[in-house]
Amino acid sequence: MDGQVIGRRIEAAQSGIEGKRRDVMASVWVAFLLAILGFLVIYPVLTLLLGALTDTNPVVDGLSLKHLSIANFLTVVANPNVGEALLNTLIVCGGGTVIAVAIGLLFSWVVVRTNTPLRGLIAAASILPLFAPPLVAGVAWSILGSPKTGLINTAFKWAGVDWHVNFYSLSGLIFVFGIYYAPYVYMFTSSALRNMDPSLEEAAEISGASAFSTLFSVTFPLIMPAIVSGMLLSFIVMLGIYGVPAVLGAPSNINVLTTYIFKLTNWSPPLYNTAASVAIILMVVTGLLVFLQQMVLSGRSYTTVAGKAFRPRTLQLGRWRWFTFVLGLTYLLVVVILPMLALIVAAFRKFMFIRDVNALFDMRAYSLMHFNAVFDNPLTMRSIYNAVEVGIITALVGGTLAFALGYTIHRTRLPGRRAIDLISTVPIAIPGLVVGVAYLWAWIGVPGGLYGTIWILALAFIARFMPDTVKSLSTSFLQIHRELEEAAWVCGKGVLGTIASVVLPLARPGVIASMTLLFVLSIRELGSSLFLYTSDTMVMSVLLLDYYEGGNVGKTAAFSLVQMVLLGVLIGGAHWLARSASQGGIAQRIK
Amino acid sequence: MSRTFISAIVGIASFGLALAGVPARADENIGSPELIAAAKAEGKMILYTANYAEVEQDVIKEFNKRFPEIKIEMVRAPGGQLITRVKTEAAAGKLIADIVDHSDRALMLPLADLFQDYAPPNAADYDPASLVSPKYWPRITAVWSIAYNTEIIKEPPKTWMDLTKPQYDKLTGQVFAQSGGTTWTRIMFERQVLGEDYWAKQAATHPILYPSGAPMSDALVRGEIGLGPLLYNAVYPKQKDGAPLKVVFPPEGVPANPYATGIPKTAAHPNAAKLYLNWCLSREGQSFMIKEQGNLTSLKVAPVYPEGFDPKVEKVWYPNFDQYVKLHGAWVADWDKTFGYRQ
Repeated sequence: MDGQVIGRRIEAAQSGIEGKRRDVMASVWVAFLLAILGFLVIYPVLTLLLGALTDTNPVVDGLSLKHLSIANFLTVVANPNVGEALLNTLIVCGGGTVIAVAIGLLFSWVVVRTNTPLRGLIAAASILPLFAPPLVAGVAWSILGSPKTGLINTAFKWAGVDWHVNFYSLSGLIFVFGIYYAPYVYMFTSSALRNMDPSLEEAAEISGASAFSTLFSVTFPLIMPAIVSGMLLSFIVMLGIYGVPAVLGAPSNINVLTTYIFKLTNWSPPLYNTAASVAIILMVVTGLLVFLQQMVLSGRSYTTVAGKAFRPRTLQLGRWRWFTFVLGLTYLLVVVILPMLALIVAAFRKFMFIRDVNALFDMRAYSLMHFNAVFDNPLTMRSIYNAVEVGIITALVGGTLAFALGYTIHRTRLPGRRAIDLISTVPIAIPGLVVGVAYLWAWIGVPGGLYGTIWILALAFIARFMPDTVKSLSTSFLQIHRELEEAAWVCGKGVLGTIASVVLPLARPGVIASMTLLFVLSIRELGSSLFLYTSDTMVMSVLLLDYYEGGNVGKTAAFSLVQMVLLGVLIGGAHWLARSASQGGIAQRIK
Repeated sequence: MSRTFISAIVGIASFGLALAGVPARADENIGSPELIAAAKAEGKMILYTANYAEVEQDVIKEFNKRFPEIKIEMVRAPGGQLITRVKTEAAAGKLIADIVDHSDRALMLPLADLFQDYAPPNAADYDPASLVSPKYWPRITAVWSIAYNTEIIKEPPKTWMDLTKPQYDKLTGQVFAQSGGTTWTRIMFERQVLGEDYWAKQAATHPILYPSGAPMSDALVRGEIGLGPLLYNAVYPKQKDGAPLKVVFPPEGVPANPYATGIPKTAAHPNAAKLYLNWCLSREGQSFMIKEQGNLTSLKVAPVYPEGFDPKVEKVWYPNFDQYVKLHGAWVADWDKTFGYRQ
């Protein structure tokens, strides 16, 4: 009897020790993640805030609060031009998001759920715009849609129709934003549609709902987290884009917040402190949106992946499948073929003066001179090598970190996970141009020679794109039912064992897609690179801006094509590798 | 004396004269043998410049024809960003640059303490008006012109005043005043030489405003604009490649802006830096930048002039440096107001 009591006590004491050990481990883990976030996010953001509220450069003048005042910030807020830039930003990003959601949702449904012919092609077209850096997209659409010299207007004139397009306008910006940021919505919604249990839709149909009303009353509401996440992400990404409004907005003097900030940093003398203040306005807007998303999504269950096997079902569209097919082809034409043709013309044409359609087909005007010049430049190969190296480091380290953060936020009940969620979302709110300066200010003094290496760029990208990666992984986490993990625990697996044997395999398509996204984003990234690169670590996007700022649309186009082909080859390679490894996981995810 | 002998003398003399007119001479002093040896031993240097990367690559390539052993790495950034980078790196004790090359002398002047004493072998040949500190040298001297697209503008302007004619309404472009030292030089010239109301007259042609000369020159090639004031070095390389562009150097004067280029005290490759700068500032280096890139020079006696520039006709205008510093804020604000450029 006594022995049994003692035994139970020992057991209780052991489980108490075990529990305490687990608590300690959990606290260490949370502290570890918070420390990383502190270095990557909080410290640079604080230097930025300091910059906005003072008139000093924290590195040059030291971290002092002497000049602290909100006068700088208030001047900026009171400036009517900032108000106008903010209004333009909201109009352009709002309009762009509406188009992006319509396109992204339509094509994810067409690709995943219908029997439309050549779905693979439409799927590819739906993510291809991601390959185009915003600056390149801007340049391509200015070649196509300039009111004076645009190829579309030249073609209208040739065809004798009295039409005229002007992409140097708010509506032009909205259109270009909409078509280029639809892939964000597409990526979220297509994977959600693919992972959705069709029995709910079947139940609706058995109850007499039409296919159309099923779509709007069951399917779309069920994937609402994916729609909202995609919508929010595309809106926020648009908020931070510089290249498109820089090229299309500048000729008609349309400012958005990013182009305004860039102007401030580019003026002579530069006004970084003012730029930091404008950035804070941008951060507030984004912060509100993130809050809104939390409000919309909180308190609902969106679990659609449970421990039951299913196959997504395909809707037989009948003759309508040709309609969706034509829609897909039109999209392909508008987002891929036309801008590519514009870039090809610009890259191979000696000069971009095109009087009429006949001049466009005058082969004497074409040559390889821009490509020769690009490859004659020793910086070209170095920038390609550096960009790929940074991209790989960012994808691997950033992907791993995002997994750790996402898992802690969504799959544990650890104290501090809400703080982790909040902090890891902050970088999305800061435009790259300004956060670039903040990283420079914050990290240049880090002992061990971080400055001047590839790693400072990689760290900046990991920090900047953390929200994108964590959010895109969250959808995967949200969809995995707890019962699967519980099953593993019941079978005696520990936390790490469960992650390795259950969560990781199930979330693998999401993880690989996030890493790929991270790779693409870091190759395209410009804002922070501008401040952090040194002679040894020049990357492609900086060189591309240099060609653009150097006033050579031909070389810009030629180098853009090189960059896009390279991205295509690398991602195609990753896709192929992943497909052979996980039987189509990434293929489905990327598509 | 036989006629043959006389003609031989004349021949030799004229050959000598011709030689004197040759812009670059191989025997020009670019540095002592010790400096050259030390520079070669360093093997590389890092240049921070506000000049366009590909333009600078051509200068480096030309330098490397003579000194292939010295590798030059470059960080190129627009003026404002370059200054921030230099200040921040210097404050953190991590200034990597061996040479800093900037278009705005006024922004460079407060940083003079960061730079070491340096003078090229031909220092005495430089116009003192172009020097603002004994530490900075005008490696590049950029000059303004009126450029036009020959496919669009059939009656080109001849003077700065012509540029304000109503016939060019909605055809012109301008680089905005805030963009940096070279543009500031031009708008100062416009107000001081062409008249207080010149800006207003120009603004009446509804110019499209550009952040710098390079994208504006591209817009000019494409036909987005027909004409406007542009730095000759933004037009000349395109013209050389056959673009439908021409320039006019107006008789009222052509504003020129000398750069400020110096070697930081912390330079890790000071000898390579000196050699590169010596070469750039030599007659040979200046001649290359004039002939191939459309710059002027701040040498008192120019070795050569860019194509289309007639030194007998053109009056080069340098800003008074005191005014260049003092008038900047107020005048740029006026300009912004006149052109409706939003701050």
